[in-house]
Amino acid sequence: MELATQLITYGLLMGFIFAFIALGLALIFGVMNIVNFAHGEFMMIGMYVALLISSYLPLDPLVSLPVAAVVGFFLGIISYRYLVQHILRGPMVAQLFGTFGLMLFLRYLFMLIFGPDVRSVKHGILVGKTLSLGWVMLDLSKVVSAGLCLLLFAFVYWMINRTRLGRALKATSIDAEAARYMGIDTEKMNTLAWGIGGATVGIAGGLLAHFYYVTPTVGMLFILIAFATVALGGFGSITGAFIAGLIIGLIQVIGGHYLSELKFTFVYIAYFLAVVLRPRGFFGW
Amino acid sequence: MGQTIKDIFSFEEYPRYERIGLLIFIVIILIFPLVVGHAYSRAVMIKFLLFALFGIGWNLIGGYGGQVDLGQAKNVGFGAYTTALMMVWWNTPFWITVPIGMIIAAFESFGVAYPMFRLKGHYFAIATLCVALVWKELFIFWDWTGGARGVEIPVKATADFVHMQFPSTIYYHYFVFFLFITQLLYMNWFKKSKLGYELQAVRDNEEAAASLGINVTWTKVKTYTITGGLGGVGGSFMAVYYLYIDPDLVMPLDLSILIAMTVLVGGAGSMWGPIIGAAILIPLDMYLGAWLALIGGKYGIDYMIYSFIIMIIAAREPKGIWGIVERMRRKG
Repeated sequence: MELATQLITYGLLMGFIFAFIALGLALIFGVMNIVNFAHGEFMMIGMYVALLISSYLPLDPLVSLPVAAVVGFFLGIISYRYLVQHILRGPMVAQLFGTFGLMLFLRYLFMLIFGPDVRSVKHGILVGKTLSLGWVMLDLSKVVSAGLCLLLFAFVYWMINRTRLGRALKATSIDAEAARYMGIDTEKMNTLAWGIGGATVGIAGGLLAHFYYVTPTVGMLFILIAFATVALGGFGSITGAFIAGLIIGLIQVIGGHYLSELKFTFVYIAYFLAVVLRPRGFFGW
Repeated sequence: MGQTIKDIFSFEEYPRYERIGLLIFIVIILIFPLVVGHAYSRAVMIKFLLFALFGIGWNLIGGYGGQVDLGQAKNVGFGAYTTALMMVWWNTPFWITVPIGMIIAAFESFGVAYPMFRLKGHYFAIATLCVALVWKELFIFWDWTGGARGVEIPVKATADFVHMQFPSTIYYHYFVFFLFITQLLYMNWFKKSKLGYELQAVRDNEEAAASLGINVTWTKVKTYTITGGLGGVGGSFMAVYYLYIDPDLVMPLDLSILIAMTVLVGGAGSMWGPIIGAAILIPLDMYLGAWLALIGGKYGIDYMIYSFIIMIIAAREPKGIWGIVERMRRKG
């Protein structure tokens, strides 16, 4: 019973984080039907921001979150302006490989600068602390990260559904042509989607660096989890990404407890079964 | 029967300069190891031929079928592991392991193809990627495959055409070239077969193809199965060439991507695409990597140049380098 509670709690905590990582991917896919392979690399850069700030400045890695958000925001916008805008005109294959090229480029740029070493954030008010809640012991950094992810997810959700800008974004994702006729600048909306996507995943990286090792190749694993999450929830659906994130978190933690070598295999199998049973995902449209 | 043989060997539908180009290419490959004795250059050439071979197989589903498959490495892995394990366990001759590896790869592809082709475009690409990753992780997890340690094929003392072990790389050069030519001829036939025409119709317009009575899903499933089998052949070659395989060598995601990328850089859906793509990417990768290691340069610049080329091609020339050639011909 204790074990079950512990596993489910951890599964849900990881689920909030996975959902937040997948949010930007779902948003970008929803607005312009393109899969961003470089999403995991944006996250890796967020992790490096946290690592650098905490190791070279006398600051807590938590301070890095706004910095990571800004870096991610501009990274997204630059990627859109100088690459994605051009590949959107091409066939689907070119889109896949364009962002794939961006992913490799960023990964090896960081490999060049920082080397392939595995590093971790060593100091910080959250690092290595545990939180005892009666019968469960929880990693404090995971609890806080998951909480922040949940809050920020809610904030983005609110922004998209309640603000004028967000509604314009949503309108573009439902029907870009109609949105253009209504006077919405869809180019601006595309740029905004990439900016938000980069900023959210940058923050996620900053949080993840608290309890996950940092290396230039870490993005690959998380991009695959994010793909699975987004596909499970339905490409482009933000509600779907949230629920799918929780499911993936539970599968990964519970599966990993019993067969730790295969913890990510379970995620891929779950994704495969889900798309086979329901190709559009739970909330796809 | 006579028609089939004619279809296999006839390159009549290609313009003259392409036929001459192919002839020159074959002659260059044939005399290459006789002229060049430098071991590293020979290794580059063998790797180039290997990736051109992979590219031809992938081109069926990816080029003529227009379905982006990012999981070809699993088929390479099936071929490589079948050959390696059968040789280690039972000392089976190489030539028996190849068809078995092909059958296993094709069988697995057939098994996953049906559900996967309910998906299209991005969804399909990511599903293939996931399937390939599941297999790789299982091959690492299992004990009977050697796990992450991999499989080592015991070295024979003498040259041996039964187990395909030779004292000099020159044999491997002609051996992989032979495999390349067989798949090139197969592709030449496939393109003119009923399935080939159906597949190209499906790629160009699925609805129109379906309205003409073509079973769209079945066409894709058959091609995907064939592609799987062809991928296994290159894997079997890798096992006897390297004499050591592990999941990171024969099944990684990077291999799947590199196979797809060589075809796309060269130009998908054409005979020359895989050849041009491999001729650019493989020497670039190997010479640049070796040169950077020599000058004590940092690891990563080669991949950055690599990915930069890919981004430019994706943004400027989505039909690949062969697309530029075709356009110039139409103009001039």
